[in-house]
Amino acid sequence: MKKIRQQFADTMLALGQEDPKLAVLVGDISHFILQPFAKACPGRFYNVGICEPTMISMAAGLSKVGLYPVAHTIAPFIIERSFEQIKLDFCYQGLPGNIITVGSAFDYANLGCTHHCYDDFALIKSLPRTQIIYPASCEEFDILFRETYRNDHLTLFRLPEYQHEQPIDLSLIKFGKAIRLIEGADVTIIAAGPQLKNAVVAAQQLKKQLKSVEIIYIPTIHPLDESMIHQSASKTKRVIVVQEHHVNGGVGDDVRRIVMDISGVKLIDLGIKGFVRDYGSYAQLCQVAGLSVEGILEAVEQILVPHP
Amino acid sequence: MNNKLRRQIVDMVRLGRDGHIPSSFSIIDIISILYRDYLKVDHQNPQWKERDYFILSKGHGCLALYVVLKEHGFLTDHDIANFCKKGGILGEHPDSTKVPGVEACTGSLGHGLPFALGIALGLRIQHQKNRVFVLAGDGECHEGTIWEAANVACNMELGNLCLVVDWNGSAAQLMPKDDLPAKWRAFGWNVEVIDGHSEDEIKKAFNQVQFSPQGVPHVIVAKTTKGKGVPLIEGHGTWHHRIPNDEEYKIIMEALR
Repeated sequence: MKKIRQQFADTMLALGQEDPKLAVLVGDISHFILQPFAKACPGRFYNVGICEPTMISMAAGLSKVGLYPVAHTIAPFIIERSFEQIKLDFCYQGLPGNIITVGSAFDYANLGCTHHCYDDFALIKSLPRTQIIYPASCEEFDILFRETYRNDHLTLFRLPEYQHEQPIDLSLIKFGKAIRLIEGADVTIIAAGPQLKNAVVAAQQLKKQLKSVEIIYIPTIHPLDESMIHQSASKTKRVIVVQEHHVNGGVGDDVRRIVMDISGVKLIDLGIKGFVRDYGSYAQLCQVAGLSVEGILEAVEQILVPHP
Repeated sequence: MNNKLRRQIVDMVRLGRDGHIPSSFSIIDIISILYRDYLKVDHQNPQWKERDYFILSKGHGCLALYVVLKEHGFLTDHDIANFCKKGGILGEHPDSTKVPGVEACTGSLGHGLPFALGIALGLRIQHQKNRVFVLAGDGECHEGTIWEAANVACNMELGNLCLVVDWNGSAAQLMPKDDLPAKWRAFGWNVEVIDGHSEDEIKKAFNQVQFSPQGVPHVIVAKTTKGKGVPLIEGHGTWHHRIPNDEEYKIIMEALR
C-alpha cells in the first residue's frame, strides 16, 4: 500500500509543475522521495537541515513574498519546538502556509517520548487563522491539500504512518466536512485518523448484538463539522470520541462544546492521558492508550448503561 | 551623530511612558543612514513590489525605527503622539500588521533573521532583485536561531542578504567571550567591522556590499555604545528600560543640543 508520505511527495510533484509558487522546505527527512519534485521544480526544494524553528521562520518569509510554502518534518520538532515561530511569524502576522508532519502521536513508537507528539491539535487550534487536516488515506491528502494549500490560513496536515483502510466515496472528502460512514441510532462514534478502522470493526461487532452505531469520520479536525456532529449527537444522545491525541485540548473538548446544549447527552473521550512511556509497536501503544476495538466496545457498553 | 532623532526618541519615551532609549541610541545612526542613502522604499506604497526589505530583528530598538519612518513619511505626528497609547499603532515592539513600512513583528529575539532568510530565498526563487537588510542585537546573538540562520544563509548562498549586528556590548556583560567577527567568519559570512556611530564607516561598509542572488551573505558588525550621545545614560546601567524624570530630561536634552 502506498504510504501517505509518498502521496505527499507525489502531490508536490504534480502540483509543483502546475503552480510556480509552491516551494518546499524539509528538515532532513523525506528528501529522497521529494527528489522528483526538486528536479521538476528547480530552486523550489530545500533541505534546510535540523533547525526546525528556523525552517518555520523561513517558510513564513517565503509566504511574505507571495509564495505558497510547505514546511515538513517530524511533528514534535516542527510543532512543539517551533511553536513560537508558528505563533508569531505565521499566525500573528496573518501569513498563510502549510506545515506537513509525520511522526505525530506515537507513530514512531519505539523512538520513545522524544519523538512522540500528541498535543499538536491543541497547540495549533489555540492560534487564530489555523486549520488542521488529518488525512488517513492517500486520496484524502491529495484532495484536501489541493483544496486548501493556497487559502489564507496556516494549515497543519498531520500525516499518519498508518491508514484507516476503509473505502470512502471520494466526492464526500471536502475541507471542513465530516463524513457519516455508517448510520446508526444508539451511539455516535466520532473517529479521527487511523482510529476509524477500530471504530468500524467495533461497529460491526456491535451490530451482531443489535446495537446500532453511527460513525462520523473527521478528516478535518479544525474547524470541526459542527452541524453533522450536533445532528448526530441530538439523535443518539451518546457520543464517543476516538483520537490519537491527548484528551486535554483534543477533539473531545471541541465535541463537548458542540453538544453541550443537548439535554441528557453523554460523552466519552478516548484519547491519550499523560505520557505514553512504553516501547513496542504502534498497535501495542494504541492498546496501552485504550485506542483499540476492545477499548471502544468497553466505552460503548459503559455509555449505553441507562441512567439509574 | 543624529541628535535630532535622538531627541525625538526621548520625547516619545516621555510621552508613551515606556521604551528602550539606550538600545535605540546605539542603532539610530545606522538606521537613519540606511533609510536616507540605501533603502529603496516608497512611503506612499509601503508594499511596493520592488522595495528593499529592512527587518529590525532586535525589536526593542524600535523607537529608532519609528523616528526614521516618521522622517521618511511612513508615520504621522499623530502616530508618534500615540506611542504606547490605546488605539495607537506604535507599541514597544514593531508590529507589521499595524505600522506602514514595518516588515516583521519582532520583539521575541531570534525571529527576524531567519524570517529574513525566507524573504531573501523567496525573492531569489521569483528572480526578484530586491535586497534584504536585517539589524540584530549582540545580545540577540545568544539565541540559537541566529546561528541556525547563519549556517543556513551561508549554505544557501543568500547573497541578497545583509545583516548588521549592533555590537553594543550587551552580550559581553553576561558572556564575555564575545568575538562576534570571528563567530560570523566561522559561519562563512563576509564580515566587516565598523564604528556604528561613524557616518563615513557606515556608508563605506554599505557601499562595499556586493548584493547578488547567489553569493556569500554579508554581516556588518557595528561597534556601538548603548545610549550613545548622552553621558548620563551611556553604558549598561539602569537606563536600559527607564523613563527620564524632569531633571534627567533636561540633562539629556542639553547633551543632545
